[in-house]
Amino acid sequence: MQLQAQENPKALISTLNRKFNLVQDYTADVKMVFDIPGVKMNNMNGKVFFKRPNKFRIKAKGIFFMPKQNPMQNISTLLLDTSAYTSVISGYETIDGRSCAIINIIPLKTESELILGKFWIDKLDPLVRKSQITTKNNGTIESSNTYSSNAAYTLPDQIVIKVEVNKFKVPKMMSVDLNKKSKEKDLSKQKETGTIRMDLVNYKINTKLQDAVFVEGKE
Amino acid sequence: MQQAIQLNNVSKEFNDFKAVDGISFEVNEGDIYGFLGPNGSGKSTSLRMIMGLIKPTSGEIKLFGLSLADHRREIMQKVGCIIEKPDFYGYLNAKENLTLCARASGIKYTQGQYNDLFQLVGLAGREHDKVKTYSHGMKQRLGLAQTLIHDPSLIILDEPNTGLDPQGIIDLRNLILTLNKERGKTILLSSHILSEVQEICNAMIVINKGKTVVQGNVADLLSHETLHVTLEINNTPHSINTLHTSIYNQHIIKESDQIFQLMLSKNQIPTLISTLTQQGVEIMRIDYRNQLEEYFLKITNA
Amino acid sequence: MGGFGAILKNELYKTIRRPRSFIGFVVILFICLMLQGAFYHDGKELISFVTQQFESVFNIQGNVLNGNLICFIILQTLIVQMPLLVALVTGDLVSGETASGTLRFLLTRSASRTQIVLAKWLSGLFYTLLLLLLLGIMALFVSHWIFGSGDLMSLNSEGLTVIRADDINWRWGYSFLIAFLSLSVVASLATMLSCIMDNSITPIVTVMAIIIIFTIVGMFDLPSFDVIKPFLFTTHMIAWKNLFEDPVPVNDILFSVGILMVHIVLFLSISVYYFNRKDITT
Repeated sequence: MQLQAQENPKALISTLNRKFNLVQDYTADVKMVFDIPGVKMNNMNGKVFFKRPNKFRIKAKGIFFMPKQNPMQNISTLLLDTSAYTSVISGYETIDGRSCAIINIIPLKTESELILGKFWIDKLDPLVRKSQITTKNNGTIESSNTYSSNAAYTLPDQIVIKVEVNKFKVPKMMSVDLNKKSKEKDLSKQKETGTIRMDLVNYKINTKLQDAVFVEGKE
Repeated sequence: MQQAIQLNNVSKEFNDFKAVDGISFEVNEGDIYGFLGPNGSGKSTSLRMIMGLIKPTSGEIKLFGLSLADHRREIMQKVGCIIEKPDFYGYLNAKENLTLCARASGIKYTQGQYNDLFQLVGLAGREHDKVKTYSHGMKQRLGLAQTLIHDPSLIILDEPNTGLDPQGIIDLRNLILTLNKERGKTILLSSHILSEVQEICNAMIVINKGKTVVQGNVADLLSHETLHVTLEINNTPHSINTLHTSIYNQHIIKESDQIFQLMLSKNQIPTLISTLTQQGVEIMRIDYRNQLEEYFLKITNA
Repeated sequence: MGGFGAILKNELYKTIRRPRSFIGFVVILFICLMLQGAFYHDGKELISFVTQQFESVFNIQGNVLNGNLICFIILQTLIVQMPLLVALVTGDLVSGETASGTLRFLLTRSASRTQIVLAKWLSGLFYTLLLLLLLGIMALFVSHWIFGSGDLMSLNSEGLTVIRADDINWRWGYSFLIAFLSLSVVASLATMLSCIMDNSITPIVTVMAIIIIFTIVGMFDLPSFDVIKPFLFTTHMIAWKNLFEDPVPVNDILFSVGILMVHIVLFLSISVYYFNRKDITT
């Protein structure tokens, strides 16, 4: 079975989807650490809310950046809709000592927003260890997940999201930084990688979250 | 007698122009001095130097025996002035302007004192009007009030009659005399109205081209001065002959028909009139320039 | 009250009673209300103009358009106008009285010229403080009342810095102090020119010309400009913005404060020196 699963992406995804289906909703406390080129932002604490099929919200006091294609919200939604894509194993890779199959997800419809989904799925305990989702409008977003106590629910303790961002340029006239000398910039590199790390604790799973929680401004 | 003002060889140069050239004079305490000079004579510069507005290039200025350079603060507490023209803060009313003056002089005025002062200068009832609504004459009166507010011993007035109506001129004359006689104030008065100066002042200083021309008691200075008298009599042989045969014939400097120009001392004029009238001469007109005017024009070569 | 206190009281009284003093207050009220109104209606679009480089990839979550941001923008916008308003009053302090003749009124009293020029300078600083207080009330408090509080997303040449709302009040306090110091340099420069010149318009125009020229020099990264830039007071007038960086460049701020204070002392010393030697011929 295990050997078959290794060779068959659908079997791996199916096992994974069964785990996804165990979770109807969850909340967790989150600590966000931002490292985005051109943006200085302190760490931030907040609370994550999720409800199937794809309601997601991070409630925090203040300003924070989240990728438009948020892997926390998208991965399960994407993989659960098995009729929308075809999957192939494109290789194998060991991540944190775990052997993973690299499964490519290719959408069946050309009008799909997704161009390519690449998932590193643990062969022995099917979990998404890493993902790379490329969409038409938002480029490629990579995420690395670390699991421990809530692995049975596919809920990670840590997610590191990597996003490619354009170099942020502010004209001096606009920033009115007369007392600053413009730094020499490496013009050869137009894109840089931004990282958002999310540490998640205090998961509360299947507590029958109300939809109102996901409306901005409502508690 | 102590001197209220002493200037010793004071000069002032503006770039290459010497406005005041070694001027020296004294003003005795208790007197009313006329300070005279033609336009551009250095009069205004001298007054500004006395008030510390302009620093002399050389020489020494003393007020009440103290050097102005070293004792400006003490001196200014005893001096009040209107230099050139009184200027005020137009957006404030008259009382507010005077309050600024009083505060700057370190004194506190009561409402009653303000009322008295406004009464004295003839501005009672207008003290709450904005100064920008004042006529020049009213500003001149307010200028007098600010001059007097700290009860100075020495009052310097530069053309105080300017803008005043005839009643204002009379009021001012009376006020100056009262301040001098009843309160013992020393007054230095600069004016172009020489008859006024002659009437009020007991001493005078005349400067010209930045130098002191003369200074002294008015009566003494004018006592030997003759007047240029114009006399018009009726055009009859008798009248003309009478004048020619009188003692006044030698004083005639010019004549045409029945109009004669004579040089006479001031006290000869009444005698001339009575002599001629007694002998049947009809005097059509007699006029003469003010004695001080005559003197002033003579000594300043105007 | 006597001596210097009396002279200062007179100068303060005149400053608050002069019609031109109110121009500054009206302009600040107008600009603040205008910007607040504009941000209230079109703020989101204006914000996205700045954040569009990120918005292709990120959702920016939280109340970006808040009182802190509006205050930051207003302060930044007024960098050109505030010196003009300060110069409008302080550039006229001495020269206006020279031209109108009221300087004779002041200088024939017992106060010394040094006392008079210091009192005038202090009254100029008092006016500057009043302008800043009004700006503070309008830009900070009224903006908070309209837009609420929140983290500040500040823009500088290196990018965006998000300052957390609970870490911002002390920054505002110090930034207003530095803004006051910066405007005090303008007030001191205007006072100095006002002592030198005899009409009220020239010092105001000269102050603005100096600020515009120095600001242009500061905007271009040219090697020849870089040598003089650290010593131009305009370079340091926006040092208040450094307080909204993370970490706060304390040494840079202290250097700016030092340069600004040197300018104040220099301009004031020249004012006192010149005023004491000035012949009042008007």
